[in-house]
Amino acid sequence: MSASIAPECNNIKEKYDTCFLKWYSEKYLRGNTASNECDELFAKYKTCLNIALKEKGIESMLDDARKVMKDSETD
Amino acid sequence: MRVFSSTCTFDYSWEEVSAANWRKYCPWNDKSTHVVAVDTLSRVVDLETGILHTERLITCHQSVPQWVLSLFGGSATSHVYEVSYVDPSSKKVTMCSTNLTWSNVLNVRETVVYQPSFLNPSSTTEFNQEAKITALCGGWQRIKNKVEEASVERFSQNAKKGREGFEAVLEMSRRVFSEQRELDRNKLKP
Repeated sequence: MSASIAPECNNIKEKYDTCFLKWYSEKYLRGNTASNECDELFAKYKTCLNIALKEKGIESMLDDARKVMKDSETD
Repeated sequence: MRVFSSTCTFDYSWEEVSAANWRKYCPWNDKSTHVVAVDTLSRVVDLETGILHTERLITCHQSVPQWVLSLFGGSATSHVYEVSYVDPSSKKVTMCSTNLTWSNVLNVRETVVYQPSFLNPSSTTEFNQEAKITALCGGWQRIKNKVEEASVERFSQNAKKGREGFEAVLEMSRRVFSEQRELDRNKLKP
């Protein structure tokens, strides 16, 4: 798996990515789209990541990009 | 504005390609070393359509031509925002991305689609990529042209590396998957 932008999140990210990929191949692609077994890991990873994104000032860049993306979708 | 587009076919099923795509930038890919981190920002499944919607942040580190740095400043680390949709019923992966860094100078918008190929849908997958690159710095057309040219050049180099690296990931994914299956089968034996 690839690394996180925040090295302190690598551990939890690795766990989440592994869980997601297993869910994606074994459940999602076989039609079981509703299960949510990786949600807990994702919440933990996101908590860690969000702190880093704020610190690095990426949060505000993302907000701008989301707006642009939305605008072009409605074009 | 300049448009870069490319298309190719992978000799793997859409299911394999769409799964391996999530780890395109793992250590098995030794070509796309400019991608240093891939973070998932959000992920939801639309309960009505079954479409998986994902937002990711991709962090790259690559050498930038000296003249670009001296003109615009900035650093060699850049970020890309990517939104993707997987539609399992029509077997289609769509990924749209845009640059977060340098966005006052350059706008790069890429769309990638993975679909079962027309001729051999059960075992091969078609990859389509299109990027629109626009230099934004006002005024000098010559500089804009130069910025766009350099960007298209870099984009096409990275696209080629990306394809080669992804082939390696696909091959490893298939090998690991079959080994895992073998292990599981042996476990079941009395």
